[in-house]
Amino acid sequence: MEITEETRGNARLFHLQGRLDSNTSPALEERLAQAVSNGTRSVVIDFKHLDYISSAGLRVILKTAKILKRENGKLLLCCMQDYVKEVFEIAGFDSFLPILASREEALRQI
Amino acid sequence: MKAEVRLDFELKNDIRELAVLSRHLEEMACRAGIPGRTMLEVNLALDELFTNIISYGFPQGGEHRIRFRLSAAPDVLTIVIEDDGVPFDPVACASAPPPPCALEERRVGGLGLHLVRKLVDEMTYRRSTAGRNVLTLRKRIDRQDPPAPAAG
Repeated sequence: MEITEETRGNARLFHLQGRLDSNTSPALEERLAQAVSNGTRSVVIDFKHLDYISSAGLRVILKTAKILKRENGKLLLCCMQDYVKEVFEIAGFDSFLPILASREEALRQI
Repeated sequence: MKAEVRLDFELKNDIRELAVLSRHLEEMACRAGIPGRTMLEVNLALDELFTNIISYGFPQGGEHRIRFRLSAAPDVLTIVIEDDGVPFDPVACASAPPPPCALEERRVGGLGLHLVRKLVDEMTYRRSTAGRNVLTLRKRIDRQDPPAPAAG
């Protein structure tokens, strides 16, 4: 999996490409934790090029959401492929994590 | 279309083998003409089960082999997973889905098995007389979906 990052206004935007599973999720967890410890409180994760997610990936997303909430920050997810969105729905994560259709929409809500 | 397409393979108890698992499944999808969406769902179910086996199945450590036997009939894919780890029945452990609740209360225990239960149509477990876990999964193949894209 490839992770790229950029700053957009107050938000840190993460762009994921490839597969997020128990093999690749520790790298994402580390990058997100690094951003939070650097003071980032608004995080947008763009899933446009993510082809696959397992429960290991969901755990990293949940953990980050909890940490940001505790710090009065915000985590927004956007641009999910149908299959990845289905996994979020089956897991019930869509009930408490905002999933936006576009990156612009996500950045507007920060 | 051939009546049945089979593929057998083994993975080591190493998390990096997940990449090998998905390559085998792509091959199977290609040979048996299984739609991409169906195969992604199967991949996720097998990923969760494999990750569980290697995380909890071998407390003594050492190298072990997890065996996968796939057979695709025209309308159903059957997968048998066999390992020599400690007895574990995922059918008994796959709990009811967690109710929607606030973020602070959300726990993730059992999430992997919950996904597995939602993604396959049937799951049966037995402990063989040789002392192996034998899990059989069935997944309906919906031929209405487009076939899997070529691996790239």
